[in-house]
Amino acid sequence: MVCVKQVPDVAEIRIDEVKHTLIRSGVPSILNPFDEFAVEEALRIREKSGGDVTVISMGPLQAKETLSKCLAMGADRAILLSDPKFAGADTWATSKTLAMTIQKIGFDVVLCGMKAVDGETSQVGPEIAELLGIPHVSYVKRVEINNDGRSLVAERMTEQGHQLIRSSIPCLLTATKALNVPRIPTLLSQMAAKKKEIEIFTADSIGAQKDQVGLPGSRTHVLKVFTPNLRTGECKILQADDKDAIPQLLGLLKKEGITQ
Amino acid sequence: MSQNTASGVWIVGEQKDGQMAAVTLELLTIGRWIADSLKEQLTVVMVGNDLDPMVGTLEEYGPNKIILVSGPSANQFIPEVYSESIAALVSKTTPSVILFPATYDGRDFAARLAARLQVGLAADCTEVSVDDEGRFVQVRPAFGGNLMAVINQPTAKPQLATLRPHITKPVKATTKVKPLVEHATVAVLPKNFDKKVLETVREVAEESGNLDEAEVVIGVGRGLGSLDNLKTVNKLAVLLNAAVGGSRGVVDAGWLPHSQQIGLTGRVISPKMYMALGISGAVQHLVGVRTAKEIVAINIDPEAPIFKVATYGIVGDLFSILPQLIKELESQPARN
Repeated sequence: MVCVKQVPDVAEIRIDEVKHTLIRSGVPSILNPFDEFAVEEALRIREKSGGDVTVISMGPLQAKETLSKCLAMGADRAILLSDPKFAGADTWATSKTLAMTIQKIGFDVVLCGMKAVDGETSQVGPEIAELLGIPHVSYVKRVEINNDGRSLVAERMTEQGHQLIRSSIPCLLTATKALNVPRIPTLLSQMAAKKKEIEIFTADSIGAQKDQVGLPGSRTHVLKVFTPNLRTGECKILQADDKDAIPQLLGLLKKEGITQ
Repeated sequence: MSQNTASGVWIVGEQKDGQMAAVTLELLTIGRWIADSLKEQLTVVMVGNDLDPMVGTLEEYGPNKIILVSGPSANQFIPEVYSESIAALVSKTTPSVILFPATYDGRDFAARLAARLQVGLAADCTEVSVDDEGRFVQVRPAFGGNLMAVINQPTAKPQLATLRPHITKPVKATTKVKPLVEHATVAVLPKNFDKKVLETVREVAEESGNLDEAEVVIGVGRGLGSLDNLKTVNKLAVLLNAAVGGSRGVVDAGWLPHSQQIGLTGRVISPKMYMALGISGAVQHLVGVRTAKEIVAINIDPEAPIFKVATYGIVGDLFSILPQLIKELESQPARN
């Protein structure tokens, strides 16, 4: 079971410096990069240990493109949670919706990306795990499913290295880019994927009440958004052969209290 | 959770092997401001064994209460155990706000706790405050730092937030209160699952600091030329007490471990100073350093985009500049 998200290509987002808003038009939608590693790892687990790979996503109907890509990579089944009732969900409401769906379908290993590049919270994976009552390993660099299929050993990235963690299955993992190199769908696999149906689930399909999901189910409310001051154009640039180049840098270090 | 009876600001600190993480004192500082604004009490919770020696330091930052959670399963970080332990404390007395560090571990168990308590969690905040209406308000970046969102949590308590390191300097309390010190027992793993840390491995050079914790982060790009040149950079890092990270290109080339990648598919950092060496400044990299206070760039290409976001830049050959800088720093008196 893999949870994926369609996100805007963050690297393509520009800011309207007059209106202080995001320029989102013309920005392509992509499969969240970290989710791609999660899908790839799920396919590799299937190849080694059997089972099937279901990909789920929550979003508008447009997110079908993202699920098509996952099917083309080789996923067996794709479910899109699409319902106006899901709109405006925060991490809690999103996790709740995804967990209810995962619970309904059944699972052994759940994979998510370590974060989505738009919201950047890293919360949905661990929250789903808590709601499912299973352990999770975040920031996974490598994973081995033990032969009996009842436990796994994962390498978790830490601030300065890694930890080796053993966990029972069922378990949830969140993927880093170190995990694998995702396969690129072939023309043939894309054709095959087109024949597979993307199932659409609504709030009713998962038995969710209106106040459990979307904005009404959310605990965090956005009061306002603003674009930060990205301090462009205020850079003082010196040439390396300028006799002031190093002294000014030393001065800055001192000013910031980094050196004495 | 009952809205009316919830009171108090908690911070959950971080420590590794009995070493207090700097972010703990930053959280305490911010926690005290929030507690004072809300006219509520400040509590600090630490999980780990033999933490009593930390009480003296914690006290200086003015908490009303210190809760030390210890026991056999507190020796290693296991998010399920941490969240369960904090949930047990919350079930006895519900605070209105809990703050966590936005570190790998902090995010991990704060998220489980939020789900368990069915409350909100604002992630990676760069600012928190209490507004004119007495609401606890959080500010957090999204879309690669292109957008800041102002968030509140009106419907459920406690209100949870993880805070990025370095968003404030630690400030000791001016009025000293003798805090109450309580001991609690750490939770055990639920019977229906098993989890164990088998091994903890350090991949980063011993002298290299932690990207999240260090005040100065040196970022290296392909402009470094070769792995061998990293030695010069590490020398500078030691002098500045800096951590060393890098661009995707450098990590993919195997010059630095994956944990040190800064940017869209790596880590997002907010140091006091980010020093970009031989980094051209692709958007994918810049989103990882936008919240740094100062950005210093050294690059041979005067047109490199890094100069557009930097506060100070030197155009020139890295390997004629670095030795000069190192020489100057070595001749200075040692930093306290």
